[in-house]
Amino acid sequence: MRVILLTMLMLLATTARASDQPLRLVLHWLPQAQFAGYLMAEEKGFYAARGLDLKIIPGGPDVNVSQHLADGRAEFATMFLSTAIERSAAMDLVHIGQIVHQSALMLVASRDSDIRSLKDLGGRRVGMWGADFQIQPRALFKRLGIEVTVVEQAPSMDLFMRGGLDAVSAMWYNEYHTLMSYGLEEKDMVAFFFRDLDLNFPEDGLYCLRSTFERDPAAARAVAQASLDGWAYAFAHPEETLDVVLRRMKEHRVKANRAHQRWMLARMQDIVLAGGAPRLTLSRTDFERTTHILMEQGFASEPPRYEEFVMEPTP
Amino acid sequence: MRLSIGARLSALTLACVTLILAMVVGYAYVVSRDTIVELARKNGTAVAQGTASRINAQFQATAKVTETVAATLEDADLSKRFLSDLGRRVLFSNPGIFGTAVAFEPQAFERGTKYFAPYSYRRNYAITSVNLGGDDYNYFTKDWYQLARELNRPVWTEPYYDDGGGDTLMITYSAPFSRRTPRGLQPAGVVTADIDLAWLQRTISSVSVSASGYVFLLSRYGAYIAHPDPALIMNETIFTHAEDLNLPSLRDLGKEMVAGRAGFVEFSDLPGVGAAYVAYQPLPDERWSLAVVLPKDELLAGANRVTRIMTGIGLAGFVLLAGVILAVSGTITRPLRILTRAAGGIAAGNLDQPMPAIAPGDEVGDLAASFTSMKEALRRHIADLTTATAARERIESELRIARDIQMSILPKIFPPFPDRAELDVYASIVPAREVGGDLYDFFFADEHRFCFLIGDVSGKGVPAAFFMAVTKTLIKAVAEREKAPGRILSKVNDELAADNDSCMFVTLFLAILDTRTGRLEFGNAGHNAPLLLRRGRPPEWIGSLEEPMAGAMPDIDYTTGALDLAPGDTLFLTTDGVGEAMNPTLELYTDDRLLETVSAHANAGAQDMLRAVSASVTDWAGGAEQSDDITMLAVRYLGPAPQ
Amino acid sequence: MDIQTRIVDTKALLTCSGRMDAVTAPRFEAASTELLGQGHTAQIADLSGLEYISSAGLRSILAAGKKLKAAGGSLAFCGLSGMVDEVFRVSGFLKLFKVHASEAEALEG
Repeated sequence: MRVILLTMLMLLATTARASDQPLRLVLHWLPQAQFAGYLMAEEKGFYAARGLDLKIIPGGPDVNVSQHLADGRAEFATMFLSTAIERSAAMDLVHIGQIVHQSALMLVASRDSDIRSLKDLGGRRVGMWGADFQIQPRALFKRLGIEVTVVEQAPSMDLFMRGGLDAVSAMWYNEYHTLMSYGLEEKDMVAFFFRDLDLNFPEDGLYCLRSTFERDPAAARAVAQASLDGWAYAFAHPEETLDVVLRRMKEHRVKANRAHQRWMLARMQDIVLAGGAPRLTLSRTDFERTTHILMEQGFASEPPRYEEFVMEPTP
Repeated sequence: MRLSIGARLSALTLACVTLILAMVVGYAYVVSRDTIVELARKNGTAVAQGTASRINAQFQATAKVTETVAATLEDADLSKRFLSDLGRRVLFSNPGIFGTAVAFEPQAFERGTKYFAPYSYRRNYAITSVNLGGDDYNYFTKDWYQLARELNRPVWTEPYYDDGGGDTLMITYSAPFSRRTPRGLQPAGVVTADIDLAWLQRTISSVSVSASGYVFLLSRYGAYIAHPDPALIMNETIFTHAEDLNLPSLRDLGKEMVAGRAGFVEFSDLPGVGAAYVAYQPLPDERWSLAVVLPKDELLAGANRVTRIMTGIGLAGFVLLAGVILAVSGTITRPLRILTRAAGGIAAGNLDQPMPAIAPGDEVGDLAASFTSMKEALRRHIADLTTATAARERIESELRIARDIQMSILPKIFPPFPDRAELDVYASIVPAREVGGDLYDFFFADEHRFCFLIGDVSGKGVPAAFFMAVTKTLIKAVAEREKAPGRILSKVNDELAADNDSCMFVTLFLAILDTRTGRLEFGNAGHNAPLLLRRGRPPEWIGSLEEPMAGAMPDIDYTTGALDLAPGDTLFLTTDGVGEAMNPTLELYTDDRLLETVSAHANAGAQDMLRAVSASVTDWAGGAEQSDDITMLAVRYLGPAPQ
Repeated sequence: MDIQTRIVDTKALLTCSGRMDAVTAPRFEAASTELLGQGHTAQIADLSGLEYISSAGLRSILAAGKKLKAAGGSLAFCGLSGMVDEVFRVSGFLKLFKVHASEAEALEG
């Protein structure tokens, strides 16, 4: 009995200690306006307002967010939907909120080249980032029936600028403007958006391990809701948001300039809202399309079912 | 608006002076500005070139070392020890190089080693070595590796913050190297040499431009590598900066610089410095570009100061000149004003107004003298005019007196003898303005002898009038004693000629008609002949006896002519004023015309005949001034009075 | 009226032309008086150029003639024609003054 009591006490103590420890949200890239909503939710205390003690861990080229979840280095993570579906084969992930409803991924070629249509990419050197960013292009090339030489693409656009690549991958909100910041005009570039090519993959979403979710679903929902509050605030107060974002970037010694971040925030508004109100719901159609292509491309063999995977709060 | 001469002179002169001043100052400013701008262009370009070549020297040295190492690696026997020593040697002999690495392709150094990249760099004044690469630092996708590897040629990277080793802002020169293998030369990796950006920034900030001028350096994509504002470095490109500032001209400058061109441009508003000139210059090897910013205010401070001083001097001169002109124009126009007041007095009629004494010798003095003589001339003229008016009035009154005398002594009541049926008599006289001295008279010398006469005194005015009056009186007195007209004329002549120093004389035609018989006796002292009109016969001139006028010489015997008048015959007598009446074109009326007119009225009564002639003469004269008296006398014999 | 004077031998010749009326007549008397002042007592007036003569002209001639006569001199005429001849005849001047047919005859006589 004393043992049971002691065990119970210890369990209580563990639970108490667990709730004393801050929750952690790891972002899948370096701090920038792409994560303005989370940063503002933290900055403005929206997490705290929902009873959460949450700390944001910035990502980067060498941070694997699913590994952070698996290792218990973070409770929550942002991920592309495609990444999450892939990872769910190895780990039991659940989707607790969709932030970005439209794909920002695009291919960009120089207007100076002879590339005018996607078919012209056949046999060319195309820059691509890691596997997560290759699913849509590879699906596209398969559909078009063309072969390209894939070159692993560095975060900078330098190789493309120096003519080492015929086309590069770019995020609309980020690298596309980087090219503009190098003095290229929009008219100097030929752009292909995957979202317009029946390859719209919803991107940034919030995830956690199923165990985390089951231990405290309310907390998971609060994280998602507070993040969405942060986004609404960011869109309503762009300049204040830019101040915060730039400060965070400088803290992490990331190249930062206001014009670039302003562009990024505006584009995030385009793809987060995607013509609607702020929402966390993941479109079933988008989910089905993504899983279908992942299976087709061999990135997933037994994808999760929507009902089991999606645990987002009922609206 | 009415301005005084002084004000106008001042305004005009000062306007000219202001214009000249503005032109001089403007020209001086423009010239000095252009000179300064030209100087700035040369200076700025020189500074840009100098700095560029200094940087470039370091770049070239670094590139050379790197390429030499890359070439060495082709055949060298590689060991970890060798590579570590190589790095240390490079850094030791090249103080400008911050760090150097030899980064291998996966498995290229040894089987089973994905990442192998020994890196030596300076830390705390010592050389440290680390091995780069790992799951957290995948150097294959780092620009410093990938660019040289993929492009297969040496390249300078864009500036970056390296967190794999070095932990500083740097740029890296990367050269690919190959290894000789049994399959020939195979790409094996990349050799790098880093330059610490702090060194570059120090180099650039040590360039002294003017007080607030500065130099900035752009990478090939327009990223700020060096700039006095540290917030810009690595964070902004010139394009995002331009976007942030909403300054399209800055974007244009960026494009020029990134395109590798050199130039000199003017900016109306650059943040932090305002208007400025920018000289830019590409670095020869890499497409970096360096710009020298020269604030316009500072450049032109000298020119502006000179302009301000010149304007100040000009204004002072202007004020001085204005004072002098006002004073001078005052002294010039003061006599004029005095003169104007005096002339005003003359204009008001005060000729006794004294003219002010104005110093002679200039135009105003001359004018004053002219005024004085004009005043005197005016005074004389007015005096003359007064005298002349008095004289004329005297003459006029004399003429009036003469006319009064003339008119008062001539009989003017017709019919003069209403109880005498034997005669029809009518006479008229139209005196000229200056009385000519004509006379006529008729009277009964006794019961049956009707005496009538007509005459013309030579000369005019009062003396003529008196002479006429004397003549008339004499004739009347003599006619009562003498019977024959010739005798009467001789007596009258002697009386008139006596003591006649003024040589006045009178022409006279004098006749005496016996009303019972119609016998007419007549004498003529130089008078023009009268017309005789007889019934049924043409008129004829009678009685020109060619004897002298009366009063000229004494002792003349005048003859007496005689003829018989039938009842109804008329004698028409005139003075020469009739025949010599002139029309406006100075043509004479003539005796012929007189004859014609009288003939036409031969049967009329004395009065009607006379009026007809008078009307004809008046018509002829047509308004021309009458120069002599016009006197006519008609005597018609009607027959003896019934018993 | 215009008056030219010249001296021929012992005689002074006054050549008159134009109109001798009340305005111009005193000039004849003045010219004659001036010649008299110079001692020319024998004077001849050539009236051939004279168009007109008024009673004032006659008086001027008469005055000049009387002055010359008083000084023991004489005034003679020549060149009478037309209206002037008529006036001289009517006024009896032909009886008062010596009249020659021509200038030459006057200078001889």
